Amino acid sequence: MRIKWNPIVKKDLRVAARSMRISWGLFAYEALLTMVFLIALAVIQADSRSIYGSGNVYNHLIYLFPVIAIAQVFIVTLIVPILTASAISGERERQTLDIMLTTCMSPFSIVLGKVSSAVVHILFFVTAGMPIMALAFVAGGLNWMNLFYFVLAIILLSVLAGSIGIFCSALCRRTITAVILSFAFYFVFGILTGVPVVIDGALRQWEGVGDSMLFLLFNPIVFFEEFFMQLMSEESIFGSVGYVFSKSDVGFLTYHLAKGKLWMLVSAACLTATAVLFMLAAAWKVNPIHSSAGRRPSGKRAK
Amino acid sequence: MLYINNLTKNYGSFTAVNHLTLHIPEGDLFGFVGPNGAGKTTTIRIVCGLLRASAGSVIIGNTAAAAGSREMKRLIGYVPDFFGVYDNLKVREYMDLYGSMYGMYTRDIAKLTDDLLELVNLSDKKEVYVDTLSRGMKQRLCVARALLHNPKLLILDEPSSGLDPRARVEMKELLKNLHSMGKTIVISSHILSELSEMCNSIGIMNRGQLITAGRIEDILQQLSGGSRLCVRIASGMDNAVRLMKEQAGLVVESVRENEMIVSGSITDEQISALIGRLIQNQVILTGFYREEGNLETLFMQLTGGGAQ
Ligand SMILES: Nc1ncnc2c1ncn2[C@@H]1O[C@H](COP(=O)(O)OP(=O)(O)O)[C@@H](O)[C@H]1O
Ligand SMILES: [Mg+2]
Repeated sequence: MRIKWNPIVKKDLRVAARSMRISWGLFAYEALLTMVFLIALAVIQADSRSIYGSGNVYNHLIYLFPVIAIAQVFIVTLIVPILTASAISGERERQTLDIMLTTCMSPFSIVLGKVSSAVVHILFFVTAGMPIMALAFVAGGLNWMNLFYFVLAIILLSVLAGSIGIFCSALCRRTITAVILSFAFYFVFGILTGVPVVIDGALRQWEGVGDSMLFLLFNPIVFFEEFFMQLMSEESIFGSVGYVFSKSDVGFLTYHLAKGKLWMLVSAACLTATAVLFMLAAAWKVNPIHSSAGRRPSGKRAK
Repeated sequence: MLYINNLTKNYGSFTAVNHLTLHIPEGDLFGFVGPNGAGKTTTIRIVCGLLRASAGSVIIGNTAAAAGSREMKRLIGYVPDFFGVYDNLKVREYMDLYGSMYGMYTRDIAKLTDDLLELVNLSDKKEVYVDTLSRGMKQRLCVARALLHNPKLLILDEPSSGLDPRARVEMKELLKNLHSMGKTIVISSHILSELSEMCNSIGIMNRGQLITAGRIEDILQQLSGGSRLCVRIASGMDNAVRLMKEQAGLVVESVRENEMIVSGSITDEQISALIGRLIQNQVILTGFYREEGNLETLFMQLTGGGAQ
């Protein structure tokens, strides 16, 4: 059987491969990652030579991995909105979205194609950063399976970021507005999901938090932290919460979710569901049948 | 083939299309004429499922499929009034992109692309970047793209706007060719004369309303000029004038050295009898014809103040 690519992915990759943008992007990414690597190495070396250090640089190289990994996730999540924010609005400006919509592509498969091509681009970046990653991994004493999980986590986070970006792109006419709105959503998911927990905790005089902690299942930063803790030392901060506080202090659900890897897996499911919701919303927005105003491309035609 | 029923589209309080009812039979080459802002593009976008109608319905073929549904999209090939270009995409890849959007396999598309590019006379441009093509070529490529999924109905919105005369002729030939291949084609334009030569029926639209629609000949009949006869005579003018005046229902409007203009309503049978009598009375006829209704005049007349 012949496999059918999503046509948009194929086209986007082809067009990107011929433009200078992707080359410059990869160059900047590599340069940035190398810089982080070198700075981290310099700090570790300086630290190991100080009077507090053990004098053995290899004991400290284990810190190389978290630094590189976090730097990579950070860069990737910043790149994705830039990749996706123009995905729909750009097609709209080029007036190719209309033609696409008259074909058999459903709005959802258009959105899915756009998110997929962003993820494939991210995989280019991740692959380009792989030698440095691998070095940090080995130095950190991690095995190849962990590297694989790390790539999975990056894919999950870029699918989420891509879905948010696509939704913003479908919503906003201008690309720059879409980028800004994407970061506003980052703020909502990364920071605001923590607010109920803080309020809840304060109300209980920091004796514990209730089920408001479940909001944190939708927090990508908390997800990544959990993932990372599992990867590094197979422990869960929320697991510790479960041990420290009693069932009544953290709420029934949190108490049970906090056991082992469960929190991380449920959180991954929640983030995936969030991504799907954003994609569905974007598809709904792209579907011309749903917008009564009928967005006529603003490009003026000479008559 | 295409049934538009009471179609209405409001933009806020502005009505762009007002209770439009239109039927385009299968195999027609239909011209959709109206001044800028008449609502042609709006109508076409609704038919293609790119815009939601405020009221009314569109039925294509025998399907009762909803506007914008996949079955309906398979029946329509749409050539918009703009040309969306991707930088860095070759003609062959452009066709491949849209073919795969119809769920076709690359190998099948490649075969079809060869045939279609041949049809639109772009065979030698297969490996050329789309954005380097001339406007006329882009437009023809757009037609080839719209034909990829072998639609029953081809809709072109202002296909020749912005084209030079040569490209216009090429486009016209292409459309005639497609028509003879049995496609139902709808073309919109704000220039009537452009359509009158190639279309077999037209609809005239102004300010969101359909003013008249039908076969070109029938519409010409509606013209005031349609009942004027022009008679050219080499000799025997006196006899001719006398016979004309005898004919009931005819009024001689003007007589010149070897030409006279007669107006009034007269059937084709009466005309042939009249010609016979003229010849019997030694009138040497060199020409006898109904004065062609001027479509532009009709257009201006019908669209009233709407036309600029
Ligand atoms: N998105 C829109 N919002 C508001 N008015 C619109 C919109 N699109 C078109 N119109 C108006 O609807 C009328 C019909 O436009 P259109 O269908 O493009 O005309 P045509 O194609 O016949 O030139 C015009 O007066 C135009 O200004
Ligand atoms: Mg128009």
